[in-house]
Amino acid sequence: MTDLRPLASAHDARTSHAGRPSRTVGRRNFLSLGLGLGTIITLSACTPTDDAPLADTGQPVKGGVLTYFEPQTWTLLYPPSVGFYPNGGILNNISARLLWQDPTTLDLHPWLATELPEINADATEFTFTIRDGVTYSDGSPLTAKNVAANFDLFGKGDEARTLPVSEQISNYERSEVLGENRVRFHFSAPSPGFAQATSTMNAGLLADSTLALDAEGFGPGGATQIHTCGPFHITEETIGTKLSVRARDDYDWAPPHLSHQGRAHLDGIDYLANNEYSVRIGAVLSGQADGVRDVQAPDEPRVKEQGLRLFAKATNGINNSINFRFRHELLADLKVRQAIIAAIDRQEIVDKLFTPNYPLATGLLAKGAMGYKDQSDSWVHNPDEANSLLDEAGWGERNGQGFRTKDGQVLALVVNIALPQPRSNEVQTLIQQQLRRVGVRLSINPGDQSKQTLDALDLETVQIYHSMVARADFDNLRSNYSSVNRDVFLNGKDRTDADEESIDPEIDRLLDALASEPVTEKRQKAAEKVQDYLVDNAYVLPFFEEPQVFAFRRHVHGFATEPVGRPDFYSAWLAGEK
Amino acid sequence: MIIDTRYLFLRLGQALLVLLLAFTAAFILLSLIPGDGVTARFADPALGLSADQVAEIRTETGADEPWFSRYLLALGGFFTGNFGFSVQTGAAVSTIIAAALPSTAVLALSGFTTALVLAVVIAVLATFGPATGPLSWVRRVLDSVPSLFISIPVFWLGILLIQVFSFQLGVVSVVSPGPAEALVLPTLTVAVPLSAPIAQVLIRSITDVKASGFVKVTSAKGASELWILVHTVARNAVLPGLTIIGLVFGELVAGAVVTETVFGRNGIGQITAQAVTHRDNPILLAVVVIATFAYVIINLIVDLLYPIIDVRLRSQASTASAGAFRSSTKADASTRRALATTAGSVGVDLGWDESSEPGRSPASHETKGPRS
Repeated sequence: MTDLRPLASAHDARTSHAGRPSRTVGRRNFLSLGLGLGTIITLSACTPTDDAPLADTGQPVKGGVLTYFEPQTWTLLYPPSVGFYPNGGILNNISARLLWQDPTTLDLHPWLATELPEINADATEFTFTIRDGVTYSDGSPLTAKNVAANFDLFGKGDEARTLPVSEQISNYERSEVLGENRVRFHFSAPSPGFAQATSTMNAGLLADSTLALDAEGFGPGGATQIHTCGPFHITEETIGTKLSVRARDDYDWAPPHLSHQGRAHLDGIDYLANNEYSVRIGAVLSGQADGVRDVQAPDEPRVKEQGLRLFAKATNGINNSINFRFRHELLADLKVRQAIIAAIDRQEIVDKLFTPNYPLATGLLAKGAMGYKDQSDSWVHNPDEANSLLDEAGWGERNGQGFRTKDGQVLALVVNIALPQPRSNEVQTLIQQQLRRVGVRLSINPGDQSKQTLDALDLETVQIYHSMVARADFDNLRSNYSSVNRDVFLNGKDRTDADEESIDPEIDRLLDALASEPVTEKRQKAAEKVQDYLVDNAYVLPFFEEPQVFAFRRHVHGFATEPVGRPDFYSAWLAGEK
Repeated sequence: MIIDTRYLFLRLGQALLVLLLAFTAAFILLSLIPGDGVTARFADPALGLSADQVAEIRTETGADEPWFSRYLLALGGFFTGNFGFSVQTGAAVSTIIAAALPSTAVLALSGFTTALVLAVVIAVLATFGPATGPLSWVRRVLDSVPSLFISIPVFWLGILLIQVFSFQLGVVSVVSPGPAEALVLPTLTVAVPLSAPIAQVLIRSITDVKASGFVKVTSAKGASELWILVHTVARNAVLPGLTIIGLVFGELVAGAVVTETVFGRNGIGQITAQAVTHRDNPILLAVVVIATFAYVIINLIVDLLYPIIDVRLRSQASTASAGAFRSSTKADASTRRALATTAGSVGVDLGWDESSEPGRSPASHETKGPRS
């Protein structure tokens, strides 16, 4: 029957030629009369034609529409829900925010606010002064009242319209309009992460008419009704395949920190969606499109050979890691968790499956993330120690297949596949082999995105959780590990599949302390405490710092990303005739 | 009268019943899958919602209602043309379908027509091509083409066509093609595997008809190959082909899923693929109903075409169909069975007598020679 999983099949296509870069085109084509054929033809038979000089110098040229391929079509442009890459890639370019975060230094700068917010001592009140003369794409002006209405929606959500609250805004209480241009936000508890939250695309401001939309209005079919005040605005939508945004000629409120001011250089961007990886890459290689997101690690060298420019942009968040759900009886013992960590060879994973664009993790957080602490000595590959730890923990006996047992129970665990993360299945397959050597049985939970999401909520189904999340703030730790947010450990109360005693209350306590600490230096200390605790208890094993990998044709200049790797085309320009 | 009105109403009633059954079966099966779209979307850790917030949304969206009341609600909605809302995007299912249906309909139509032309050309050349001489290999090769075509995976063909015609030769653009440009490669992709079963059945039925007595008589009267093909063989050979056309329609739907994904066309196939990954049951239900509807209609048309094409089917069913396949000396057992099953499934008894001697040419066959 028909394979209904375009992602999975594209994935196969990528991997099937991973390990054999052969030299002769004919032979390779002949050998690969299977899934990988399309990709291979594209990557091997195209002659490099895109050999314009690589220098990023020269005067930016105005004009031209950039075509850009995404693997999936966008689903929702409601700002708090745009974590999904295709959504974020659009919203980041059409929306403007109160503050602007520098993607390299992670410092905050004013954008639509005239200056950084006034924050009271315990970070429960934030006062912003709004810039004059800013208009939305429907012509309505940006006012303090409108900004207040935006954050009332993002901070509280509206379940009746199935518009969820933003995970980045916690303890939100209310807004207060202080005047034409001044607005204050009140929080029920310290919320020092709020200033950074106003700079992310998840807090992209919406016109009053757009704020009244329900979830349907933010979905496919209504894109042209979404009015924002960024450098581009949506002009045309073809459901499921294409979204066109065009530059706003009256855009004159770029972050003052940038040297580029005024209108965007490009005339616009056409976002195209195609599930088939070989088609996306092929379209860029053949010059039909200008750029593509999500170049797979095994293809990087060949994409470069063909003359494309490769951008691996750091996402500055929690590293790609596995989380041990310690509330499951098999993982309750610290020694077992330590043994698994000692049995896994992280270097082998990075070397075998990835490229230098995927640096080995040196901490729970990426080096560029706020709150980063170097903990690289904590995870040493040592199978002998793994074996002795498991023996000590009482898993000394082996069954017929060589797996460790205790009282007749096999040491068998299940890990999910993190489909949005690069090569999750291959990573887990490699770990499966590594753990097999010390007698631990690892199964990989099969299924599509929905099944993975649902299964991951159940302790009995998934005990080791593979994930990653990016936000350039200390609060990222809380978003990921807290039992009221993503809850990677399933450490929440009232679970039917685990005893209340198995909760580790210390994690939430440390995260709450971090979230309510208003002073930046102390936040760093609090963030380090959280990481130390998680590492000491062997709750997490990070693998690598996850980038977003883009490929562009050489005539595309000035491409940038925001702090977590979403494309930013404001200053991009196309050289020469297109 | 060519079409019996009573029969027509009976068939329409059956079609409605089939629709209802398909809807119910789809609903029950989708309900049996553990977890639903609401949880799949809102419990996604990427949103970072707490369990309480998810529960609140579930209540708001009615996801926690018992399945039977959800069933009645959905069924009532379908009767009043309200297909509900997509779980994944919140958009109205009718909007999504309305945007996707025209593109799929155009692809289906062009793919189908191309497949038909392809099948007829293959079948005719494979049976009427030169039997001897230096070009006789054409006939042998074409005879095995259906087996080749049916073995070609649709997605592979699609990717291959894009690579060659778009990326290598630059003939067709995949990025912003014109309406006709966008249709060429997907049409070929759909048509090739679709043409295989039709061509195969046509080859067999033409071969059978050609071998029957009345064709020999016509030939003996001095008719040319072409004259025989057009006037004698075509009408007699087309009936099994028609049956298989109705049956392969399902393949068209499956082919659309893959083709639209590869070519990035927003059609029923692509939204089906996405709805499956997101457990978007309202969309899946609508797709099931639409696909069933189209399938039922196509097969209804096919059934109604039988008496138009074959005069013997115009009088009462039992006697009319009696001779349908007697014309062949070696009645193709599988084709016979397929036809009988199709007819049986829609309540028509073809009344074939297994013991009747094959080869007896019915009187009604057109056996008159050229009028020279």
